[in-house]
Amino acid sequence: MRPVWDSIRRFLGVFRKTVREMWRDWLVLSLSIAFAPLFVWAYYLFTLGGSTTYNILVLNLDQGVVSAQGERLELSEGAIQAMLGVTYANGQPMLKVVHLDDQEQALQKLRDRAAAAFVTLPADFSQVILAMQGGDRSQSIQITYGGDLTNPYYTTAYILALSGLETYIQQVTGQLPLIQYNEQSLGGSAARTEFEFYVPGVLVFAIIMLVFMASMAAAHEVEAGTLRRLRLTPMKSFELLGGMSVALILVGVAAELLALVTAIALGFRSQGPFWVAVLIGVITSLSVVGVGLIVACFSRTVTQAFLIANFPLGLFMFFSGAIFPIPKVTLFTVAGHTFGLADILPPTHGVAALNKVFTLGAGFSEVTFELAVLTILSVVYFVVGAWLFQRQQMSMHS
Amino acid sequence: MTTTVLQTVKLTKHYGSLAAVKDLSLEVYEGEIFGFLGPNGAGKTTSINMMCGLLKPDTGQVLVHSKPVGSSDASTRARVGMCPQNIVLWERLTCLEQLQFIGEMYGLRGSEARKRGERLLEELDLAEKRNKQARTLSGGMQRRLNLAMALVHEPEILILDEPEAGLDPQSRVKVREYIRSQARKRTVILTTHNMDEADRVVDRLAIIDHGELLVLDTPESLKQRVGPGDVVEILLAEQEGMESAVQQAVHVIQAITSEVSYDIPSRKLRLHALHVVAHLPAILEALHQNGLTAGEINVRANTLEDVFIQLTGRSLRE
Repeated sequence: MRPVWDSIRRFLGVFRKTVREMWRDWLVLSLSIAFAPLFVWAYYLFTLGGSTTYNILVLNLDQGVVSAQGERLELSEGAIQAMLGVTYANGQPMLKVVHLDDQEQALQKLRDRAAAAFVTLPADFSQVILAMQGGDRSQSIQITYGGDLTNPYYTTAYILALSGLETYIQQVTGQLPLIQYNEQSLGGSAARTEFEFYVPGVLVFAIIMLVFMASMAAAHEVEAGTLRRLRLTPMKSFELLGGMSVALILVGVAAELLALVTAIALGFRSQGPFWVAVLIGVITSLSVVGVGLIVACFSRTVTQAFLIANFPLGLFMFFSGAIFPIPKVTLFTVAGHTFGLADILPPTHGVAALNKVFTLGAGFSEVTFELAVLTILSVVYFVVGAWLFQRQQMSMHS
Repeated sequence: MTTTVLQTVKLTKHYGSLAAVKDLSLEVYEGEIFGFLGPNGAGKTTSINMMCGLLKPDTGQVLVHSKPVGSSDASTRARVGMCPQNIVLWERLTCLEQLQFIGEMYGLRGSEARKRGERLLEELDLAEKRNKQARTLSGGMQRRLNLAMALVHEPEILILDEPEAGLDPQSRVKVREYIRSQARKRTVILTTHNMDEADRVVDRLAIIDHGELLVLDTPESLKQRVGPGDVVEILLAEQEGMESAVQQAVHVIQAITSEVSYDIPSRKLRLHALHVVAHLPAILEALHQNGLTAGEINVRANTLEDVFIQLTGRSLRE
């Protein structure tokens, strides 16, 4: 039993030492913890606490029409009001209409990405609608729309604009649509603002940043020479890395909790239980720390660790779905679950699980698959990290 | 009867084509202070890194109580305490926390490690700084703490790499006394390029150069090898045709002592003889007759430097 107790004592000793060192390096600690809440706050400011309002350019060529009663009508104004009437569930408008006089002006704004799409209302807009109201079904309204198709906002913007227009035309002409669409939202997704939609990704991003802290903390022991001193002791790599990892995970969880509190203070609402979200954060932290330790195996200095850690950071950011949605290329399927390349990245499952909890109101039992995969990945990365560290940094040097 | 605690058997280490240590075989006895003397780059640090299990030899092995020191054998390695030449501390831990932490890593209970840490801080005059972070200590204090870190697990063998390097005179005396006090409790192996330190502290001395063991004996015996008597060093005034004049003078001086050497670039004539002071007038006359003028004259007893010069033909400082 003595070796086990010795091992536990060393593990706890490293944990205490790491906590003390981090606590006394308050600048790095506070920046590490404050990063995620600041990011949440910044995101709130950029989205104004709600969702994106898309700028749509309207080139209104409508010349109006005189009704049978002699009244001059400009029905395009109603169409524009209909576009402005497209709102989120909380009442926030989805579109902001910018009136333009000529198409060249519109193209310039689209090139500058000052707007997502343009819509041209034709000269006979009012005239055709009036004819339709009179029962004439032989005419149709020619709407021209367009924009930069590589702009990720373009599709959403023109669909929303055309949807507003179509609804208006149906109303004023009394025509029923050929197809009646009924939307059913999953969980609480209908009421989610864009700010809320991105909170899970931001939380995971906070945890991803641990890859720097983990790799740099371990590399610091190498650079400062203190690892040489530890190599003379009976300490094993998993005791050193385990103690350090627990301390780092506490930092990750603290950052996650603080970010969550900030998000709640700014209007974020979770549909599912918070404790499940925290659990997801803990396991994701462990796996990210494991990756950080692998980075440290190939680093002799803190600077090297920082540079190398950018590689997994980039993969986590761009291919896990934390920041951008990614297409999934299926490699194989196990028990009805498809696996792609992105699934070897722990944050992929962290983001998916947090989305289920926060947006869809999932409980523990509904995220067990993600938690299981996260746990397996955490163990794999941590064991590989510890093995490599023992081999690369703690063995007798040749 | 002497007991061997550490033995190196044909220890060899190369860095690329450079042989840092060549076929080093020696034995270190229980309770002695064993010194490695050699110039910078002689292979001292490489040797002790292999002795404490930090560095793998290309060939040969290190035995502690006849057991090989290998990376997998933590208990054998733990019998050795190592104080590196560089200060290796956790800068944000206090003095006591460092000692407690490293003690725990050696498997001590927290309370025991703390107790030993307190005692070491007391012994090394650091008790007042027990709660100060290492980064706030002076260089001398950090060096003493560096030494304490090697002792907290009470190793049988204490290895010190240049223990007096970078110390102020006060700390140097303190550390030297402390090393001597340790000899009664454990075996001490130290490296140095300081002849004075080696002469005053060690019981036996291994002189190494270019990775090779040149000689191993007590400092007194080594000095005896140079021969009894004193050493005279005469700095000659610079002049033309100096070399032939010096050769002629040396020819005359060899009637007094056969141990005469000279170095033209440094203009230094070096003699070794019994009662050399009594022969000084004759030596100076020989120089004068050959047109040479003596400048600074230095008369001193034999040192380990002389041993090194005799063995290698050059000074330790070169």
